[in-house]
Amino acid sequence: MKLPVTTFEKIGDFKNVIESMSIEAQSPTEFLAALERIGIGSYVTEEGHLMIRYWQIGAEDFVPPEQASIIRTSRPLPDQGDNMDWLSKNLQTIRQEYGGKWVAVYNERIVASSSTLPDLMNQIEEYDRPLITLIPAGPVIWTFTYAL
Amino acid sequence: MPSKNFERSVKFYEGKTQNGISVWLPLVDVSLITPSNSRISLPLLFDTGASVITLRADLYPLLGLRSWDEGLKVQTGTGGGQVDAYQYTATIEVFGKSIQCPIQLLPTLPLHPLFCGLLGRDTVFNEFGFGFWESTHELFVTESP
Repeated sequence: MKLPVTTFEKIGDFKNVIESMSIEAQSPTEFLAALERIGIGSYVTEEGHLMIRYWQIGAEDFVPPEQASIIRTSRPLPDQGDNMDWLSKNLQTIRQEYGGKWVAVYNERIVASSSTLPDLMNQIEEYDRPLITLIPAGPVIWTFTYAL
Repeated sequence: MPSKNFERSVKFYEGKTQNGISVWLPLVDVSLITPSNSRISLPLLFDTGASVITLRADLYPLLGLRSWDEGLKVQTGTGGGQVDAYQYTATIEVFGKSIQCPIQLLPTLPLHPLFCGLLGRDTVFNEFGFGFWESTHELFVTESP
């Protein structure tokens, strides 16, 4: 499999490694597995581009979007700890410090907080898919019925 | 008997009441694409009783709005009776799919730290099949219903 990698001019040896793997791999899955074996973090975007962590190097049109969707469901996305799980497990502590505030959670930590949502949004522009929520100042209600 | 296959399972999330009692919530991580093309992760409560994705009204800045009540006014039935909601169209990403769907803003949705709204049926549920296992705290999902 030969990948249309065109953006490695500045990183010499790494380019050679990737090009060598491109030729040897028989499929996108095999190529991703090869990256993983040598400790290079990677992921595939919605559009099907291959992104390599840290260097942020991409191979555009690595796979078509339909295949990207399949690959993405079976592989971890970059820097995506389980923010919801972290939030639920640390809620008591978070409420003590951030009660009444909007918070943004990224990589299992709070990266921004504010009393207003627009201000919070300004603080988190650099993050991809931060989780946002408003932490109640008062007690949390745990039973509810909506049935819209 | 019918047999269904699912490719994905979503574990419920555990919350603890002030008395230390566990409450399990079927929460789904939904990415909202904002008008500035950034992606925001919103935890939504999986709710087959909700006709439409419904967010708390105070989230209106995420839709690029100046106020929550700029959109199409609709009457929505809730546990507390009929209330005015305002409907918009937005793009979300959920379970590996990008979907353009209606979203309603509702001022009476209670504030909860673990979810910002309800994952309702309109448009979104057509894309998936679901299996709900309360006893094991799992939601099963197929992308090919």
